[in-house]
Amino acid sequence: MEFIYLTEEIRQQIDKYVEKFPVRDQAVIQSLHLIYSKYRDIEDYHMKELSEYLQVPLNVIEGIVSFYDMFRVKRGARHHIRVCKNLPCHIMGCKNLLKMFEKLTGEKANEYSKNGRFYIETVECIGSCSIAPAFMIDDDLYNGLNITEEKLNEILSKYT
Amino acid sequence: MRYYPNIPDLNADSSINLLLRRAKENRTVDIEEYVTTGGYSALKKALTKFTPEDIVVLVEESTLRGRGGAGFPTGRKWRFALSNPPPRYLICNADESEPGTFKDRIIIERDPHLLIEGMAIAGYALGAELGFIYIRGEYPAGAKILEDAIEDARKRGFLGKNILGTEFSFDILVYRGAGAYICGEETALIESLEGKRGHPRLRPPYPANYGLFGKPTVVNNVETLSNIPIIVTYESYYMNIGPSGYYGPKLFPISGKVNKPGVYESTMDITLRDLIDMAGGMRDGKKFKVVFAGALGVYSERDLDTPMDYSPKGFGGTGTTIVLAEDDCIIDSLIVIAEFFEHESCGKCTPCRVGTYEQLNILRKFQQGTATEEDIKLLEHLGRNIPVGSICGLGYSASNAIMDALRKFRDEFYEHIKGNCPAGVCF
Repeated sequence: MEFIYLTEEIRQQIDKYVEKFPVRDQAVIQSLHLIYSKYRDIEDYHMKELSEYLQVPLNVIEGIVSFYDMFRVKRGARHHIRVCKNLPCHIMGCKNLLKMFEKLTGEKANEYSKNGRFYIETVECIGSCSIAPAFMIDDDLYNGLNITEEKLNEILSKYT
Repeated sequence: MRYYPNIPDLNADSSINLLLRRAKENRTVDIEEYVTTGGYSALKKALTKFTPEDIVVLVEESTLRGRGGAGFPTGRKWRFALSNPPPRYLICNADESEPGTFKDRIIIERDPHLLIEGMAIAGYALGAELGFIYIRGEYPAGAKILEDAIEDARKRGFLGKNILGTEFSFDILVYRGAGAYICGEETALIESLEGKRGHPRLRPPYPANYGLFGKPTVVNNVETLSNIPIIVTYESYYMNIGPSGYYGPKLFPISGKVNKPGVYESTMDITLRDLIDMAGGMRDGKKFKVVFAGALGVYSERDLDTPMDYSPKGFGGTGTTIVLAEDDCIIDSLIVIAEFFEHESCGKCTPCRVGTYEQLNILRKFQQGTATEEDIKLLEHLGRNIPVGSICGLGYSASNAIMDALRKFRDEFYEHIKGNCPAGVCF
């Protein structure tokens, strides 16, 4: 079978995981992370290819994707904004931050992206409570305290 | 210089200096610096001077308790696993997802070798050959830092085959989670580590008997394992750190309306009041209202003299302190906590799956002003029944904060029934 989405690079990484871990099933979540960080979405065709490549039943992979939050949500965007909404960030004003994001990007929180650039997700604690309200864009973490629209725009412009 | 994804500038001021000795600045300590500042000397000492049994005895005598929240004596946990035949596994639980907890992150991102050294010593004591670090999916930087640090340690011979020329072999693998709070529960973590959905297992059998791949397994928190090199270095002097029975340093992540939120290291003889003072007092001179211990408890002004140890009356747990000021509403905060549990319940046990949902709906009625006194009774009913109908820690603690608030801030519930929010947040 030819792999379209599992690129050469990803397959090499997966091979490393399979070699490293004692049990083949353990490579599934790690491989899904690779797909997630490249495509920011896990779709059926990704799962089918992974199932074929790892020789793990599709239902097992689907079961994992539907359980873990990072894989479950369909985003349809290149960049993934995570705004923490848990208690420390809540009392430090994450709602204002969210409004700013919605205004600047034109997207609604937790809704499938319209133009495919940003997906805004409200998430539970991301473990950065001393810089609350905290947010992540892709793998980068930012401090949202006293942030202005201008500053936020500057940060967003880095993600095209 | 390697590129790391940006490390957050989390404050790490403290009164004592053991766990965070090298973690003061916002950068990752590499192996070079770690070794020159006395690192891996505890591993050397453990492998050359002590037998595995000696180390278990040292840990037992140190009264070290699990820093992940439950406070179970680490020595006893190890003893249970040692009563079963090898192969044994060691798992480091780096899936801290409790609201307001970010203490493990500091160790992982700034001083990863402390954790690796601790795991190597623990592996030696347990006769384990393979250890895993289960790190949460939201710490991509941490996972990368750990992987690089492990690679460096392998090159120097601190991990891998025949460590430091002895018979002992041990290796560590990093495994990333994917955003599920439930996977911080040890049996759910093991399921997730085996590559399955993270549903907790029914206990007994405990992981010490039947854990990863059905083999005896010890699951310890990052901070617990980071204490091991300190115990081996200090031996009986470790018992001079902190109050009797609760020896050793403890990390306290403090956030919310204080002047200097961050991670603070201290002995466990301080009180909640001391901790808030350590963090610079209340922000903008506002009046203190309440402390949320993560999602697990509510502490009012009358509890400010609570000791921060693991005694029955103590603060215990992860040490998580979220400070709220007078302009924050209890009901509003409880709704956030209830949303968290409703979202994170894995769905295995019905009382937890449905109970957390109902709990949230009832609390929302208070905010909308449609609640009656009957709803307080319903909340109490749920608070009694969700824990007994659940098999894991998430269900046991899902209504702790609400029950605590009902005891300590009952007036606020009645005020909300009357349509009046004392803090002016709701309505």
